[in-house]
Amino acid sequence: MSNDPNFTGAGGPTTEELVFDAKEAQRRRKPSTMQRVGDHMKREWQLYVMLVPTILWLVIFLYKPMYGLQIAFKDYSIFRGVANSPWIGLEHFQTLFGNDQFIRALRNTIIISFYGLIFGFPMPILLALMFNEILKQTFKKTAQTIVYLPHFVSSVIIAGIVITAFSPSAGIVNTFLGALGVDPIYFLTKPEWFRPIFVGTGIWQEAGFQSIVYLAAIAGVSPTLYESAVVDGASRWQMMWKITLPSILPTIIIMLIIRIGNMLEVSFEMIILLYQPATYETADVVNTFIYRQGIQGGQYDLAAAAGLFNAVVAFVLVMTANAISKRYSRTSLW
Amino acid sequence: MSGVRLEGIVKAYGAVQVVHGIDLEVQEKEFVVLVGPSGCGKSTTLRMIAGLEEISDGDLTIDDRHVNRVAPKDRDVAMVFQNYALYPHLNVADNIAFGLRIRKESKETIASSVEEVGGILGLTPYLERRPADLSGGQRQRVAMGRAIVRRPKVFLFDEPLSNLDAKLRTQMRAEIKRLHKRLGVTSIYVTHDQVEAMTLADRIVVMHDGRIEQIGSPMDLFLNPKNTFVAGFLGSPPMNMVKATIAAGDQGPVAEFDGQRVQLQQIPALTNAVGLEVILGIRPEFVSVADQNDPNLVGLDIDLVETLGSEALIHASLQGEPFVIRTDTVGQMHILDGIKGFTIEPNLVKVFDAKTGEALPGQVLEQ
Ligand SMILES: Nc1ncnc2c1ncn2[C@@H]1O[C@H](COP(=O)(O)OP(=O)(O)O)[C@@H](O)[C@H]1O
Ligand SMILES: [Mg+2]
Repeated sequence: MSNDPNFTGAGGPTTEELVFDAKEAQRRRKPSTMQRVGDHMKREWQLYVMLVPTILWLVIFLYKPMYGLQIAFKDYSIFRGVANSPWIGLEHFQTLFGNDQFIRALRNTIIISFYGLIFGFPMPILLALMFNEILKQTFKKTAQTIVYLPHFVSSVIIAGIVITAFSPSAGIVNTFLGALGVDPIYFLTKPEWFRPIFVGTGIWQEAGFQSIVYLAAIAGVSPTLYESAVVDGASRWQMMWKITLPSILPTIIIMLIIRIGNMLEVSFEMIILLYQPATYETADVVNTFIYRQGIQGGQYDLAAAAGLFNAVVAFVLVMTANAISKRYSRTSLW
Repeated sequence: MSGVRLEGIVKAYGAVQVVHGIDLEVQEKEFVVLVGPSGCGKSTTLRMIAGLEEISDGDLTIDDRHVNRVAPKDRDVAMVFQNYALYPHLNVADNIAFGLRIRKESKETIASSVEEVGGILGLTPYLERRPADLSGGQRQRVAMGRAIVRRPKVFLFDEPLSNLDAKLRTQMRAEIKRLHKRLGVTSIYVTHDQVEAMTLADRIVVMHDGRIEQIGSPMDLFLNPKNTFVAGFLGSPPMNMVKATIAAGDQGPVAEFDGQRVQLQQIPALTNAVGLEVILGIRPEFVSVADQNDPNLVGLDIDLVETLGSEALIHASLQGEPFVIRTDTVGQMHILDGIKGFTIEPNLVKVFDAKTGEALPGQVLEQ
């Protein structure tokens, strides 16, 4: 084998040797992954600088606390600290699953999440489709602003509005029912009313804002698709069904995966603001359970176990949703 | 009769008028090409015919029916767009069937139509594929399939080949021509590419700034452009333009410039125009190369000879402007070395008034 490019003597390198040499040279010329990343960082350092705050945020608020997760498997006491508390295996998990309140919280979480998904998920899509059909720009802008507004209002104020609206004495709902001859209902003390009110509040607060994502997706659909359909004779209704919806379907699926991943993250501050012991039966969710046991009751290790369980279930949900979507619709988050 | 008639068609966006009164009559089965530089109002005109843009003024008649206020779907036209306008979520068969489904045709009709159109366009092997998995040419064919399948009275094409590479464009151009021969549907085709216009059209409509400059068969426009705009727009390489003044010569009118002279046709419009400042339109194809021994030589500064096989392009300059000659190389190679300029037959020189850009009357070139 010859590495000498000037080698031309009789019985020179065979084809095989030449191919080998060429491959060898190619291998040597191809930079390693490290080298390529390094080069990229040097060239595009601005991008990496912009990434720094997010990485810091992740490390400080998401990765560092993971260290404390181990107390889910320990008999934790603040005096001994995280490292020195003794390991006790799965005892906290056994306690949890023997605890009626936890089981109830788990069931409520699933039911409320499920309602949220069924009623809350389609709402922003419907809104976006409706906005898209409004031709008059001023009306469209006004309507959009009005439905975006609740998103920018603090949950405390939203809860205040809801509590006032459903108040048995002066609330607008009961006033209206009174006019129809119905006796006042103490909505917020009735377990059977909690879930509808909670889910409805969530929709009112967020649906408008969430519709922005779908509006953006709709804006990305090529106008010639519609023009072509118009020439073909499609009505507005047909265009919505046959063009707009299928075109934004990938966005819908991505949003659905994200939504399912966050499904167990019921907005617990809103629950805390709206629930009361009388409605725990239908309102208490895992996060409020953790809050009461852990923060108020000082059982940090038990609360950590409950939180970890919640996270594991959420993780499994995202993975499953992603896998299903990848398989059936060519769309996936990763 | 499935003709299309435009009478005084005007389009204004608010106060801005972009199409200033178009009169055009497209005969049944005719293939008419609207050609002109970008922004001259070709698409706007076509979209008014399709019903995608409101007609600001004038009358549009399709198949002897006044359709200004008729919805696009009821005009019985089909349109092919530059970016294909295929539905990404539907496969080829469903894309082709879209218009039929919208019209609630029966399943059997749809299936047989899709099959037939797929066969005509050579799409049969790809019917199950999504647009994303097709090449540019195949997508373009699907777009045409969508138009054909509805058997409309009129096809409208808006720059359907502009997104294809040069080779594919030539190929698809021939295919569109063949398709038109086969189906015989009245077609209006918009392009900014004069080669497409020349090769496809029964009649070409040259547009400029929202107005029609000239209408005629490709050869007619090539030989007898009405003005310098049409002359410069059609033909490749473009017509050479030379500034000159008409003078009286021994054998009738001549054009003089920079101490050189070109013999002109002996027609009244030219003989009576002595002293007039003109622009000579000289097609690169119409000149013969000449060496210094030729008494009628028009001298040029030869810059470069490009030999393309059967023909050669000679790049030169005259009056500081580029001047191109296109010549057969067969049997002429020996003189390409010694050339100093060109000669031209008097009846092949087109003379335009320098002030108005209009061709002087009475000059008619026949094929
Ligand atoms: N929606 C619109 N509003 C205002 N001006 C427009 C609009 N659409 C097109 N125009 C103008 O009309 C003129 C003709 O456009 P168009 O018909 O698209 O030209 P082209 O010959 O390139 O197809 C252009 O000057 C363009 O800027
Ligand atoms: Mg255009």
